[in-house]
Amino acid sequence: MTSMSSLFNVTVANGNANSIANISIASNRLAALQNEMSSGQAISKPSDNPDGTVQAMALQGQLARNTQYATNSSDAMARLSTADTAFSQSVTVLQQARTLVVQALNTGAGDASSASAIAAQISGLRNTLLSLANTSYNGRPVFGGTTASGTAYDAAGNYVGDTGTVSRQISSQSTVSVSSVGTSVFGAAGSDVFTMLANIANTLQTNPSALNSSTLGQIDGAISTVSAAQSKEAASYTQVQAAQTTQVSTGTALQTQLSGIEQADLATVAIQLSSANLSYQAALQTTASIRQMSLLNFLQ
Amino acid sequence: MTNLSGTLNQSITGLRAAQYALSVVSQNIANANTPGYTKESANLEEVSGPSTGLYTGHGSLGGVRVASTGRNDDPVLDARLRTTQADSSMADTTASQLASVETLFPEPSSSGLGAQLNAVWNDWGNVSNNPGGSSSTAVRQTLLSDTATAAGTLNTMSSNLTQVASTTSQELAANVTTMNTDATDLAKLNGQIGIATATGANANSLLDQRDSLLSNLSSLAGAVATINANGSATVLVNGQTLVSSTTSNAVSVNSTNQISVGGTAVTLSTGSMAAQVSALNTTIPGFQSQLDSMAAALASTLNNAQANGFDQNGNAGTAMIGPSSGSGPVTAANISVILTNPAGIAAAATQTTGGNLDGSNALAVSNTGTSATSPDSMYATLVGAVGTASASAQQRKTNQDAVNSAVLQQQQSISGVNYDQEVSDMMTYQQAYNASAKVLTTIDSLLDTLINLVGNS
Repeated sequence: MTSMSSLFNVTVANGNANSIANISIASNRLAALQNEMSSGQAISKPSDNPDGTVQAMALQGQLARNTQYATNSSDAMARLSTADTAFSQSVTVLQQARTLVVQALNTGAGDASSASAIAAQISGLRNTLLSLANTSYNGRPVFGGTTASGTAYDAAGNYVGDTGTVSRQISSQSTVSVSSVGTSVFGAAGSDVFTMLANIANTLQTNPSALNSSTLGQIDGAISTVSAAQSKEAASYTQVQAAQTTQVSTGTALQTQLSGIEQADLATVAIQLSSANLSYQAALQTTASIRQMSLLNFLQ
Repeated sequence: MTNLSGTLNQSITGLRAAQYALSVVSQNIANANTPGYTKESANLEEVSGPSTGLYTGHGSLGGVRVASTGRNDDPVLDARLRTTQADSSMADTTASQLASVETLFPEPSSSGLGAQLNAVWNDWGNVSNNPGGSSSTAVRQTLLSDTATAAGTLNTMSSNLTQVASTTSQELAANVTTMNTDATDLAKLNGQIGIATATGANANSLLDQRDSLLSNLSSLAGAVATINANGSATVLVNGQTLVSSTTSNAVSVNSTNQISVGGTAVTLSTGSMAAQVSALNTTIPGFQSQLDSMAAALASTLNNAQANGFDQNGNAGTAMIGPSSGSGPVTAANISVILTNPAGIAAAATQTTGGNLDGSNALAVSNTGTSATSPDSMYATLVGAVGTASASAQQRKTNQDAVNSAVLQQQQSISGVNYDQEVSDMMTYQQAYNASAKVLTTIDSLLDTLINLVGNS
């Protein structure tokens, strides 16, 4: 006997297979959507979206780098702020020294005891300046380059740091220098501020009349060197600030992109879920009602 | 045959034929859910009676008989179904294998290997920010332990991939055993079918068994069957004879996953075993070698970085990564962190006796992850390849299953049992039985009339 029509003859095995196939399609779809809904993840395994997976991984890498740039930037800011305070205080100290020298010049060489008092004050200022030059951040002298020793200058005012540069990467394209080498701030060995102040104090102590206005010029020169170094450092500070702003917006943009790829659109999924639920119920209902029927139902 | 007793006999053959046809219906209904059962039908045929004096030319009223019990198969569709089943099994096996490979690379994730590598590069950035001082040791230690975590993940991935391969290998061996059993069974069955055909016995159930063995062999290895005139089957695998008449050749698999039939190497192009061989020889080794290259790239990136710099004590950096065995090339299976002293991390690019706090070498390393040739992008490429392979295998499986189910539906619509059809046949034969019985009682009353007539005279 051949089939009854050009369409399929629905046999018992066929009917079973069809019902099971339809129910399992509906149920798999429902399960996939439920998984997506409950996890909130549109991609639960690479095959869900191979391109999306690779993109998501690249975005995660960029996000991680961005986080690192932010960490680097905070570190740079802290270091630069520490240095900035030291710069400002150094300028103040040098200005105090200048005032004292002016005072000494005005008083003239007449009053040895007064000159000696000024000399003592200037020595004190030299020591203050020395400790400012040894300002450290996180245990490292900010004017010492990359030296491993804890100080940039020894007690005698000799530079013991090195000329290494400390850099922080603040974006994929830019690194910023967060260090100043002591010799370029406080003067090269021999002509440094510490020697200068020591000499002034010494002159006031031993031969006050030798003091002349050229000393003021030296102090002014030192002040302008420190200020120049400070403004160079301020430029770095501004650069880091700008980078921080960029990092925040880049981070937000990357996170948005990543969410777009990785995360389920819950509103859409919710609608799909309810429609899948309906299909599943329909498949069950149809099977339950159709599979009961046969010619036997109508025979007495 | 026109005498009354002849007509009585005719109606008896009608009763018996209807009864037999009903028993075939009953057989069909009973086996409606039996796997491999082919719907049967009673083939009825008219019987000629002997010629009589009255109707010399038309002696054809001998009743009915059952000529044979038909088997509703369509050999062409059966063969087509075997082909689609083989393709479908191959697609199913490939898809499920890739699905299990895919679970070894759980990406995108915030804790997978991708994230672990990101942590390593950021740790280098932190070492660069903090190359010395009290908190540096902790930062350096974090770098070493995060690197060890990534290496450990690679070790696990590699051993899991090996595990998938060895499971596949066991499945292949089990399938070879099944093929041998099926081939032996089929050879025996061929003999029984030959005898049944020669003696005219009903071989339908033997033929059903034959078809189910053919279907198994085809699903396993894409074996191609030819049905001979006597009902026996000849089976070829890639042109090599597996079963011919009552003899079968042994199937074997060697250590390089080469399948042989009767000692001759064969190349399987379809069936689940073809998928297994291809997974073992191509797919899994391909992923394994990508993973190994990625591990080697990670090792060389970190070791080159170490070689370019100087450690906390001012000494030239020594290798950070090596094989756990101590020698040989670094692979995903043996990658391990061999640098144990945190101070040994070469953060500095410049050398100073006793060490300095330069972090520029570490800073350079921290940017490695973003390069297009980085281990990170090699890993992303691997994950992408696995994902793409798995997605397309799933798609092929869906398509192939649809093709197979369409052909199965066609084949079943001919060979399967439909209750409505059977019940309708049942009613037909029930009526035939009733009608024949009615003829019988009518003849009986005619005979009665005749006998009473004789008695009265």
